[in-house]
Amino acid sequence: MQHVANVSGARTEAKAAVEVRGLSHVYAGRDGAVPALEAIDMKVPAGRFVVIVGPSGCGKTSLLMMLAGLRAQSSGAILIDGRPIDKPDPARVGVVFQEASLYPWLTAVENVEFPLVLKHAPRAERRARADAMLNLVGLDGFGARYPHELSGGMKQRVSIARGLVQDPPVLLMDEPFAALDEQTRMTMGHELLRIWEQTSKTVVFITHSLTEAVYLADEVLVMSARPGRILDRIQVDLPRPRTYQMMATEEFGALRERIWQQIRTAP
Amino acid sequence: MRGASLIIFRLALLAAVLLLWEALPRLGFVNAMLLPPLSDVLAALVHILGRGDVHTSLGVTAAEVVVAFVIAVPLGAALGILAAENAYFGDIFKPMLFYVFSIPKSIFLPMFILVFGIGFPQKVAYAAFSTIFIVIMSASAAVESVKAEHLLVARSYGATQAQILRRVYIPSMLPILLEALRISMIFNFTGVMIAEMYASRVGIGRLIADWGENFEMTKLLAGVILLAAAAMLFNEAVRSLEARCSTWRT
Repeated sequence: MQHVANVSGARTEAKAAVEVRGLSHVYAGRDGAVPALEAIDMKVPAGRFVVIVGPSGCGKTSLLMMLAGLRAQSSGAILIDGRPIDKPDPARVGVVFQEASLYPWLTAVENVEFPLVLKHAPRAERRARADAMLNLVGLDGFGARYPHELSGGMKQRVSIARGLVQDPPVLLMDEPFAALDEQTRMTMGHELLRIWEQTSKTVVFITHSLTEAVYLADEVLVMSARPGRILDRIQVDLPRPRTYQMMATEEFGALRERIWQQIRTAP
Repeated sequence: MRGASLIIFRLALLAAVLLLWEALPRLGFVNAMLLPPLSDVLAALVHILGRGDVHTSLGVTAAEVVVAFVIAVPLGAALGILAAENAYFGDIFKPMLFYVFSIPKSIFLPMFILVFGIGFPQKVAYAAFSTIFIVIMSASAAVESVKAEHLLVARSYGATQAQILRRVYIPSMLPILLEALRISMIFNFTGVMIAEMYASRVGIGRLIADWGENFEMTKLLAGVILLAAAAMLFNEAVRSLEARCSTWRT
């Protein structure tokens, strides 16, 4: 991992890895225009871990798709690494999707290589790179397995490795652990933090789980029901590395409670 | 070893059937006129394989099967993909295709004779007609089996349309397409046989129909063995391709 953004001096220090300015989105529904996202502003400094939580259908996945350049917003600007994004750019953004996004006809290592294959990277180079990523996510020796031979947690590790294989500065994660059982989910959260600390990526992570949000985040953005707006921005100042013991602390509980109140009373 | 014993029992079953085929007519349990012993049928098979008219017929039938297949499969696949990819086109044509598919195709055979005569073009047209509906429906199902998430992943990593086709659509669709290939050959072969047996001057179907009418049971059964072997050979060839894809088919 040799990402060297934002080391060129104080001038670029203010430059956010992800910046959203006045973003709104309206889509055409059956009964006319439906406002989906409203006046979204966010600024994520490089290397920060931001979690977005909100009720189902609040548009958080749509927002993530827009950050990935996979969907166009009605108005407002999105800057990734200082430049607008209007189409997918894997050099700047890696995306980790919900469960079942691996290709079943490719082995784990071939799945990780997939983005490099699209770029026509030389075979030896992409294999070495994919092996290094599998190693990073703790799947050394599992490269030759097909997805159906891996557990749910292992599949999501492969997805993370695929998201990181091109070394993009920004990693977007759309409820990557939602389909896992509680225990695996906790382990994966912990693993993700280890990988994040090792690679110093900027992460935007979407989840339904309040515990997961507080456990992972530097900052939690709470969204309202549709049309999605940002109701609250909560700084999580728990020390790092995070430990499971922190979940039992009063501070953790208070943060979780504050998010819950916002979502519960959201209009 | 369950696998090994399974193979032994299957071979034993086959041997038992062949043995009964030989023994029952010889021992007078069944009428040898209706079911001649296996050894007589195999002798007839060797005999007909040496005949010039059989060679001609085999050549004509094989050509009809291949030409009809080469017309029906790509055309049907293209229409099926169009129906799946273009929702509007699909909504218009799918109900009609669905209902036509349910009609036994053989009732159209007299119309094909009136339009095309009883030669090569009629066999090809009728066989292609009997095959194309299953190809359209399978191709359409194959396209619909491509997962939206898989397309999204490819797009998010900057795949071009050509890359999405090659790296997502084709591997996703391959198992269903191979299965469709196998089944459409069954329809296609049946179409050619029915058309030949119903009305034609040459072709292996014609010979089989003649042997039946003339009560030449050994030749008739020899023809059956010949065609069964050809059909099974194609079937197994496609199935071995399918098996290569099955490592990831869950």
